[in-house]
Amino acid sequence: MIYFDSAATTFQKPPSVRNAVLRAMQTMSSPGRGSYPHAKAAEETLFRCRTLASDLFGLSSPEQVVFTMNATHALNLAIKTLVSPGSRVAVSGYEHNAVTRPLHALDAEVIVADAPLFDRSKMIGGFRRAIENGAKAVICTHVSNVFGYILPIKSISELCHKANVPLIIDASQSAGILPLNMSELGAAFIAMPGHKGLYGPQGTGLLLCNHEVNPLIEGGTGSESLMQTMPDFLPDRLEAGTHNVCGIAGLEAGLEFIRNTGMERIRRHEQILLEKTVSQMGKIPDITLWHADDPALQTGVLSFAVNNMESFDISEALGLHGIAVRGGLHCAPFAHRTAGTLPDGTVRLSFSAFNRAEEVDSFLRTLRKVIR
Amino acid sequence: MNHYLFLARSITHAQEMARVLEQSGIRVKTRRAGAGMTERGCGYSLEISENSFSQAMEALKESGKLPVKIFFVTNNRRQEVAL
Repeated sequence: MIYFDSAATTFQKPPSVRNAVLRAMQTMSSPGRGSYPHAKAAEETLFRCRTLASDLFGLSSPEQVVFTMNATHALNLAIKTLVSPGSRVAVSGYEHNAVTRPLHALDAEVIVADAPLFDRSKMIGGFRRAIENGAKAVICTHVSNVFGYILPIKSISELCHKANVPLIIDASQSAGILPLNMSELGAAFIAMPGHKGLYGPQGTGLLLCNHEVNPLIEGGTGSESLMQTMPDFLPDRLEAGTHNVCGIAGLEAGLEFIRNTGMERIRRHEQILLEKTVSQMGKIPDITLWHADDPALQTGVLSFAVNNMESFDISEALGLHGIAVRGGLHCAPFAHRTAGTLPDGTVRLSFSAFNRAEEVDSFLRTLRKVIR
Repeated sequence: MNHYLFLARSITHAQEMARVLEQSGIRVKTRRAGAGMTERGCGYSLEISENSFSQAMEALKESGKLPVKIFFVTNNRRQEVAL
């Protein structure tokens, strides 16, 4: 199979990730629950993983790194801490349902920093106006999961900083690919999955915390067990119950892979594949491509549509030929509204460090057959 | 043997302190902290030799990762030390 759906999950993982998961299953029990070697091994794994993440994302302490099930879980923690029911919040026109559904559940007044697709200055203007109009928090994706478009997160963080408005960054599509530094961005929270650009297993995620935070669930933490309230310190405050030790062991290996390979190298590799794909697909009649004019403003994610064919039909046909892409709305109706691609959406292909140029050639040959 | 116990608020805090101390060449042992050390139940502590105490405090102060409480242990008796 040619796997071009890494914006959903990186399916091809470094072998070290698989090995780490297996080793954890064979040698580790519950962290923070005992003094015997299996518990200690689990504790050490969690701490190494927190430390790697803390170093990679510019935190001052591994205690600020909280393990979650995924980015959605992390975003829910952050959003439900900062957004009170009915309050006013600013978001970009590219947000995922992982952001917008919790806001809807809170009955928040959502101001979308509307701007034409790929228009940075109008988007920044939209955020400025939203903040001036009383937004109590800003939530913004770093990279669109539909278009791979890199949002001007630094400018948005500066606006928030000046107005003293907390910022939540959804780094689902940027973690492991683009530089992301908590202390430089000054965000209240950064949420990310473990299973995409960090090459960890599914069921892992991280919430990087620079702000007080409320738990979503309560339970045992292996600390302050006489108290009936959750600990008031991180990471225990947010980590009730037994950890996904095997997943976190895999995530640690994924983070090591990122550190050893280098984010810049991975980014450059994906950019080369993207540029090749864009230039070749542009020659195929009846295809519409959505991509930023400046390749520096896009990751290895590309959306396209074919005249008179539905996106699900194309993705299904490609799937039958052994090519994994994703059609539809990608859980991001806001992004498709911005692009004018509702209701059918687009077909999205997304690369990882493990894709090769020959796979792009094979995809292009197959696509030509499928749309003939 | 006389030693100090540095109480941590969590296993992660204990691990952070241990990392700082080990980077300063101080040997530590991570131990569970019983009810006599924390009235909140279930904690962690680091065991540090009497000789390493001053150096350990200096390293932790410098890194901003101080313990929650400190105990001095002699003849199996534990006494809290003012921070």
